[in-house]
Amino acid sequence: MKKQILAALAGYSMMASVASAETIGVSMALFDDNFLTVLRNGMIKHSEDQKDVLVQVEDAQNDVGKQLSQIQNFIASGVDAIVVNAVDTDATVAMSKAAEEAGIPLVYVNRQPVNVEELPKDQAFVASDEKESGTLQTQEVCRLLKAQGLKEARVLVMIGELSNQAARVRTQDIKDVIATPECSFMNIVEEQTANFIRTQGADLMTNWLSAGVQFDAVIANNDEMAIGAIQSLKAAGRAMDTVVVAGIDGTQDAMAAMAAGELDATVFQNADGQGRGAIDTALKLARKEAVEQRVYVPFELVTPANLTQYQAKN
Amino acid sequence: MENSIGLSSPKRARRLPAEFNIFLVLIAISLTFEALGWIFQGQSFLANTQRLSIVILQVSVIGILAIGVTQVIISGGIDLSSGSVVGATAMISMSLAQVATARAVYPGLTDLPVIVPVLAGLAVGLVCGVINGALVAYARIPSFIATLGMMVTARGFAKWYTKGQPISFPTDSFAWLGAGLAPVWIFLVVAFIMHILLRYTRYGKFTYAIGANAHAARVTGINVERHLVKVYAVAGVLSALAGIVVAARGLTAQAGMGMSYELDAIAMAVIGGVSLSGGRGSVAGTMIGMVIFGIIISGFTFLRLDAYYQEMIKGLIIVAAVMADVYRQQKRKAHR
Repeated sequence: MKKQILAALAGYSMMASVASAETIGVSMALFDDNFLTVLRNGMIKHSEDQKDVLVQVEDAQNDVGKQLSQIQNFIASGVDAIVVNAVDTDATVAMSKAAEEAGIPLVYVNRQPVNVEELPKDQAFVASDEKESGTLQTQEVCRLLKAQGLKEARVLVMIGELSNQAARVRTQDIKDVIATPECSFMNIVEEQTANFIRTQGADLMTNWLSAGVQFDAVIANNDEMAIGAIQSLKAAGRAMDTVVVAGIDGTQDAMAAMAAGELDATVFQNADGQGRGAIDTALKLARKEAVEQRVYVPFELVTPANLTQYQAKN
Repeated sequence: MENSIGLSSPKRARRLPAEFNIFLVLIAISLTFEALGWIFQGQSFLANTQRLSIVILQVSVIGILAIGVTQVIISGGIDLSSGSVVGATAMISMSLAQVATARAVYPGLTDLPVIVPVLAGLAVGLVCGVINGALVAYARIPSFIATLGMMVTARGFAKWYTKGQPISFPTDSFAWLGAGLAPVWIFLVVAFIMHILLRYTRYGKFTYAIGANAHAARVTGINVERHLVKVYAVAGVLSALAGIVVAARGLTAQAGMGMSYELDAIAMAVIGGVSLSGGRGSVAGTMIGMVIFGIIISGFTFLRLDAYYQEMIKGLIIVAAVMADVYRQQKRKAHR
């Protein structure tokens, strides 16, 4: 069931000999994830736009062991560079070691490897800094609540998968912002996981509502949970202008919810930009050019004010 | 409820129904949350109509699966593919249910009447179920392996269908299938039909007979192979229905939808007294198992239990509930 996508260069592959093409092996943590799909398509598109770059993308299906064998297979087949979207960011030491011993450059994309501080010199990390996302999100919620003139604001936090690094960092960001003097009027009244899933977000919100929890804002670790919360709030007849709802990711559905006046803020993570950055960095490393070992693609706050710029993206 | 005990033991027909003990467990769990609610939250857990509706609503989609799985387990098999069929069906039906303004999968096929995505989805489930059944009945592949193959294949199909992209923005008429308490009503209709089917028709009698003793069933003239295909086909169609409802409820279809639902469904059935060795169980029992699940999920949030503890305790409650049932079985045998 190994899934392989061979993004061959349709047009000029006939003219160019495949032997001279640079091959990049890509191991994605999983295929069925909206954001990672945009990232993956960004990589494929970007490599198709260049002459003689061949990308082979594999699906690790969220399995650490599978990912490691994919990387070993890439090494054995002599690719020019490897791009890894790690299943488990704690399992990257073995990957770095295998690639280093084989002398093949390695680029981690989107998920920060545990050994990011001591990467070998032909390895790099391309991503957005998770610390920005939750911070931008919570600061915007803080600003909106302040604009309502609230002296005390009650906040619900919807956490993603508990074992996920982004969920942990984003939740910590929320707490860090609330700890600052200008946002200390916010209080977290409830925090609970909904596993990044929309229906679970909806159920969690209904459970909160039925427990009689009072709140002024909902901060969710991703857009899907925020949309789920909105669905339940609407079903319960709560006026959406009496509650601030914020997510992260900037998905198409989130943009639609924002256009409808239901979602107040989301944070756009440039998946396409990360994908392109990873391919560029991998190619530079393969050509022995100098690169930054940490390439950060910035997060961007999306609000109704600048919504139109983002509607076509992701 | 003699059929829940199986055809093999007509003598026990006058005793309390087999579901009675697990019903007591349900009452005990509910009262525990009620008591803890007054102690820690100062309010009632049960006397809250909004909560009672979410208790059922949040498990009704998996409940639809669980009923399909129940009759498969009664027939002596298992269905591991139901969660993946949910994913595949959600993708197919949503792709035919989009509005014209969406970035549609099939730009030429938008704003179709709701019957189109529904029938397409159910057809997917039917095909998956018939394949499962044929593999089990005619190719004689153990159901665990046959449906495991379908589980992997259907999930792969769901991912391939749009290359991992989610599908959103359904028509209002499609969304209506998952709006408000619609999933609960759909579940109740399914449960009612399947209860009648299993209890009062030849379909049910054959299913219990095959699960209790396939060889004996064959000797009495039942076409075991053909019946098993029917049982798996019904399970496939119910999985598909769950897929349609979950997509309509979330207003989106994603390839990962229904992930590990099959395990929750099996757990609900087993908690409800369905025997994994076949021939024993009922729709009513599975419904009680399902409500126990719903109570646990809502109860934890109500008590503001830390998210990290929830899954650990959920696992313990599943094992404890089944242990109570096993204990009852043994006591019953000893009394005989």
